[in-house]
Amino acid sequence: MSLADVHITLARHALIARLTGEIDMSNAEDMGATVIGATPNEASGVVLDLSDVEYLDSAGIYVVYGMRASLQARGLSLVLVIPAGSPVYDALRLSGVERPGDIAETVDDALRAIDGSSRAPD
Amino acid sequence: MGESSSREPPRITLGVGQIALDLAQPIPEASDHVRSSYRFSDPALSELPLEQLLEALLNLVQEALAVDTVAILLFDEETNQLVARAAKGIEEEVEQGVRLPIGEGFAGRIAGERVAIFIADVDHADILNPILREKGIRSLLGVPLIVEGTLIGVMHVGSLTPRTFGQSDLAVLQLAAARAAPAIERARLFAALEHEHNVSTLLQRSLLPKRLVEVVGVEVSARYLPAREEVGGDWYDVIELPRGKIGVVIGDVVGHGIAAAALMGRLRTALHAYSIEGHGPGRTLELVDRFVQSLSEPAMATAAYAVFDTYASTVCFSTAGHLPPVVVSSSGARVLDVSPAPPLGAFPYGRCPEVEFELESGEMLFMYTDGLVERRGVALNLGIDALASALRKATTPEEACLFAVAELVPEDGLQDDAAIVALQNSVVPTELHLRLPAQPKTLAHVRRVLRRWLINRGADEADVAEVTIAVSEACANAVEHAYSPAPASFELHATGDDGEVTVAVRDEGRWRPPRGSNRGRGLSIMVAAMDDVQIDRTDIGTQVVMRRRLGPR
Repeated sequence: MSLADVHITLARHALIARLTGEIDMSNAEDMGATVIGATPNEASGVVLDLSDVEYLDSAGIYVVYGMRASLQARGLSLVLVIPAGSPVYDALRLSGVERPGDIAETVDDALRAIDGSSRAPD
Repeated sequence: MGESSSREPPRITLGVGQIALDLAQPIPEASDHVRSSYRFSDPALSELPLEQLLEALLNLVQEALAVDTVAILLFDEETNQLVARAAKGIEEEVEQGVRLPIGEGFAGRIAGERVAIFIADVDHADILNPILREKGIRSLLGVPLIVEGTLIGVMHVGSLTPRTFGQSDLAVLQLAAARAAPAIERARLFAALEHEHNVSTLLQRSLLPKRLVEVVGVEVSARYLPAREEVGGDWYDVIELPRGKIGVVIGDVVGHGIAAAALMGRLRTALHAYSIEGHGPGRTLELVDRFVQSLSEPAMATAAYAVFDTYASTVCFSTAGHLPPVVVSSSGARVLDVSPAPPLGAFPYGRCPEVEFELESGEMLFMYTDGLVERRGVALNLGIDALASALRKATTPEEACLFAVAELVPEDGLQDDAAIVALQNSVVPTELHLRLPAQPKTLAHVRRVLRRWLINRGADEADVAEVTIAVSEACANAVEHAYSPAPASFELHATGDDGEVTVAVRDEGRWRPPRGSNRGRGLSIMVAAMDDVQIDRTDIGTQVVMRRRLGPR
């Protein structure tokens, strides 16, 4: 069994990456690289849906920071979907870090946030 | 021996060779011939496997006719050729895999025209097989091997000195052929069946799990028991699933042989694939049913699928026409009363309801196919009761498999193949003392062990999540500290009493200051998640000891 999985879809101008499973030092970097590698430059942002992640530790949080920096360098925004009370929500709370990106409750909210922040050509 | 003229062919000529078929001639001095030819009807011959049978026939014929060479060529339908299969005195024929066309040459014409042929002088005959001349054979006599009007091959004898084979020689060779042909055919059919059996057995083996997955919280054992004669389509599978769950499958494809084994392989794959998509047992079986319905050839199978939750100690179970499982506990074994849905492939849109039950610490779930419990003339219920009785003393899955096989498999083997799989909810120890390899993939294993242990200590959901992340962070540090090239390890000790848990993680690596901001974050998580965190760094290693009081905060 693989510990985690990445499901990638494209919606409007954003790439939606839904992560599932457990993310720790054994797979965090690979997951981050997969999402970054799948993001086209034409996209205006990335929605990282962490709602179904069962476990995320400091290695995972570090990778999310890295993703934000890498996307910012390409002029893309990163919005995280982390519902209150989810395992990732609790991990962030425990780590006491500032938000590693904009946070939304749902994927739709996240997409709206990206649309609002980008001036789409159409 | 009759000196029949080699220049006056009685029926047909073959080049300048001859055919000896003047059966009107009396058989002189038949006594020795006939005595030895009686042995062709020895019933023991029909018991021999093909190779030994051919060998025995060659010897008998050589002795009876006092010839230098004997050869048996069998007809190969696919290529319409004769294939040298056994030989004495001209072993090269077989070694070189001589193949001869039907209708031409010495053996080819015997087969094509179904007549006996005598060649007095090989040098002047139409011989296709060069080996016969190379060996210095001077005279030949051959007869067709026929079973119920169907040609199966040719047997011929040869002499290194010029010899006129007479009527009595022909009679002996024909008698040998008449006796040998059905025995050869029977042995050949048997060998073909045996070959199919071997192929199917190999196929079956290759389609079953090579090794069962090791999952925290369960012990699993399984067996595939081939039938006496035919291979079938029984299978088992053990599938590791997310969120501390494990899937156990048992199934039985209707039918036998290679086709059943191959279909089993497809169903096993389909079920495995649907299960890791996150479907529960009922929906998984329904999807496999739709898969079976979509096959071009009609197919049917029964299967049962159990998903055991190693955290909650519950089983979610669904069955498509399969026999009920047995639950074994320290107080005995009981057959579970579950109403099965129709078999896979039986009805369109079959529904597979789920039942849920507890599998307490130490209890076992035993699943099996009907081959284990079905006996001709005995009611199925009695077989299942006998199984439950055999299992009641089993304390481990391995014992359960051993007892089931010992009590239910007859001495002469099973009529039908069988598969069995046993899963036990292993007892959670009151304390954890683990030595673990310092590798990143160890962390997931630690979390599974720890979650089960914490739940068993009475921890609530928040306790479990927060202690788990803190301990996993401490273990991640231990893994990072291990930079020696030799395989490194670290220790984890967890104890608990009075509503409090204490976890210690020790490594022998040197403390490494946190790199970047993320490692420091690991420490913040430990401190935030636990009531007390002590870090002791020395030259010989690092020890992190953490405590947390369980319950609402």
